[in-house]
Amino acid sequence: MLNSLREKINNFPRGTELRTKIREMVDNRVRIITAGLSMKEIRAVLRGDPPTEKPNPRYKVITTSFVAHLRPRYYPKAATWFTHTFRLGWFTTFFFVVELVTGMVLMIYYVPFPDQAYESILAIESNVFLGELMRDLHRLGAEGMVLFTWLHMFRTYFTGSYKGQRSFTWLTGVALLAITAWLSFSGYLLTWDQLGYWAITVGSSMAESGPVVGPALNLLLRGAPDIGAGGLLRFYLNHVILFPLIAILVISIHYYKVSREHSISLPATVEEGKLTKEERKEATRRIDLIPDLLTHELFLTSLGILIMLVILYFGLFASPLETHANPQQTPLDTKAPWYFWWLQGLLKIDPASIIENMLAGIGITVELSSILNSKFIMGLVIPPVLIGILVGVPYIDRNPSRLAKNRPFAIGWGIAWIFILLALSYMGLPEFGVETPLATRIIQDLAPEEGLGELRATPYEELIPGVYTVGEDYGRDLCPSGYSYEDHESGELVIGCPHLTAVFTEYSEKLLIGEEEGKLTDLHATMTIEDFAPSLRRVIMHIEWFDDDASIDKEYEKQYFLHLDRVREH
Amino acid sequence: MKKIHLEIIFGTVFILISALLLAIMAVKEQDRLGEEGRLSAYEGQQRASQIEFGAGIYETNCTSCHGEYGQGIPGKAPCLRCEELFSARMEEIGWQGSLEEYVESVVTTGRQVSTRPELYQGEGLGSPVMPTWSEAFGGPLREDQVKSVAAFVANFEEWGLNPELVPTPVIALPPDDPTALGRLVFVQQGCIGCHTVEGLSTATTGPVLNGLADRAGSTVDGMDAEEYIKNSIKNPSDYVVSEFNDGLMPANFSELITDEEMDLLLSFLLTLSE
Repeated sequence: MLNSLREKINNFPRGTELRTKIREMVDNRVRIITAGLSMKEIRAVLRGDPPTEKPNPRYKVITTSFVAHLRPRYYPKAATWFTHTFRLGWFTTFFFVVELVTGMVLMIYYVPFPDQAYESILAIESNVFLGELMRDLHRLGAEGMVLFTWLHMFRTYFTGSYKGQRSFTWLTGVALLAITAWLSFSGYLLTWDQLGYWAITVGSSMAESGPVVGPALNLLLRGAPDIGAGGLLRFYLNHVILFPLIAILVISIHYYKVSREHSISLPATVEEGKLTKEERKEATRRIDLIPDLLTHELFLTSLGILIMLVILYFGLFASPLETHANPQQTPLDTKAPWYFWWLQGLLKIDPASIIENMLAGIGITVELSSILNSKFIMGLVIPPVLIGILVGVPYIDRNPSRLAKNRPFAIGWGIAWIFILLALSYMGLPEFGVETPLATRIIQDLAPEEGLGELRATPYEELIPGVYTVGEDYGRDLCPSGYSYEDHESGELVIGCPHLTAVFTEYSEKLLIGEEEGKLTDLHATMTIEDFAPSLRRVIMHIEWFDDDASIDKEYEKQYFLHLDRVREH
Repeated sequence: MKKIHLEIIFGTVFILISALLLAIMAVKEQDRLGEEGRLSAYEGQQRASQIEFGAGIYETNCTSCHGEYGQGIPGKAPCLRCEELFSARMEEIGWQGSLEEYVESVVTTGRQVSTRPELYQGEGLGSPVMPTWSEAFGGPLREDQVKSVAAFVANFEEWGLNPELVPTPVIALPPDDPTALGRLVFVQQGCIGCHTVEGLSTATTGPVLNGLADRAGSTVDGMDAEEYIKNSIKNPSDYVVSEFNDGLMPANFSELITDEEMDLLLSFLLTLSE
């Protein structure tokens, strides 16, 4: 036994032989882990050198590795031109990953029950380490993802990249558009503030207007006739489990088609245009995944992270959080998220009255509003039709050419749609087409129910108790002459009450203009400021006028409580 | 230099800058969450918005019994900005927690039986002295609303312990209209807590006052309307309206109401015709 051991020791490799042996062993391990790349090859990759072996071991990774099998071996050079793709699809995916990561952090602290949801958001904002950053990143990423999905779709449309074998990829893309919108929309409710609660209430009420299955669909969505604990839990589970899973699946299918089946489309000028042989050769030169595409993606990742952090660091974006959801109080200006403004705009169109008016023009009187419910037509019929058109784009457009000059109709149609969407979005703004009584509007503009507004931004020290009557002359400053104060936040010395004076001036001017224009006859309006509790003052805006149309006296009053320590800026 | 090298260099620089930004944010965050910063600006702001929110809830739900400014209504409900609540009440009731928690618990469940029947007798068994407010027990308010209103009441401590700080209210009406001022006295003295006046209050503890101007002069022989009303305010037990029990109306209004206020009040009450 001792002999055999001695023999083994004698035969054990030494010197160069030993080093070669060890290197081989290490190399072997590395190849197993990297699915084919040796140490030497990895060094070459990092240096940007060409492959060291033949066949190219960098392609082997893509066939063997599970993670890498989704990736392409290479793209033709022209397909990676920045001006061709603008990296829109890539950034959509980037934002999706940001959502997954930040979402998982937020899930640790979020509680999906109506009585605790809002407080848990407050806790994330105030008590969780970097919680505010996580929420802002999540929100910013969501907006980015929706925006880039739309942009990506328009890019694909304008470059004609949905044709032929890419028509199925286009279909999965349309599905992803809907999935992204739903992911974003379902997240809207979770904060359980007025903004989310009412956006979802208005949105989901469209389901209710449907025929036959409407009420059942509404019940399925909300878990009860109104949004409550059941609805919140459903939206939460949709948002964190069901739709992320569906999104991962559909994104994978969408991407796999691109990466492994038909590649990113070549620019039409390369595919169909007249290029010299050299130009064509250069345009179709292979750009390998390893290392070029991968490096580029890492670069884009670092760029994306940097841009998001810079935006948040300099406070250019903050996730909104309004007051606690209150089912009893409909806010004055209900606003859907911006990517649904077009839908809100659609809902303001009343097809029944349009047709009635048209028919009345040729002498036929009909009553259609009972059959043509605007919510049903505009909210439930039109959107699926639009999605149908989107899905059908590759089958409607049979033009084989992708060159812009050969498809003027398709390009014009696309541009028209951009304008239609912008116009509808404009119509969807709360300011459009919704008539608010002037007195209400003036006060709402000065001191909106949600958000800051001029009144709330007024320093506490300027809120000198008193009754200020519109139309009376208070001189240049509302406060007693010689009044000055030290701002408790900034510490700076302010003479007089510039802010309060500005607020009162705006209030007076708007009202007096209304009186001049005959909208507020016999105007009597006041702004009363009084001490209500320690460090808490009450501002009452009171407007009385005579309504000429209805021939009655009307009044409108709104009060605000302003605390010394309240937030005065965003 | 190849494109890939530029990308590696810039990518690394970007990551380093990002890490730096993140580090700065983390340090700031640590200050914000640290022991010293715990009651820092953010929490102060949250507290402020909670008190503002609570004030709105108070204003809509509580003023008919506790007075417009929390000054209480004699015989109806106690003062919420007076010293007694902040210095003696918790001991009197045997409450172990904080004052704010006490208020929260009272608002949540209400008061079924008066703890001070000699001051606030309510309307007898079967109707609570103070109704239940929390949604959890059949009331109208959510938990966060109850908490906010408790925060609003607890905020009165500064005035409670330093009564000299309580400001005189601003009168939000033209000062030359005695009827309007009398209406204000009617509200501020808490009359609305028990008497119905159409368009102003709906309480049923005492008689409805609409039509008082018509009937006051003929209720007691030898007394004109003005005398009768004045006497009924100062000595409520003299002529009790038949459906109501004696002793419901506090007997100390002669101390609470000044002569000037009484005149204003009368000029308001004498406008209340049917």
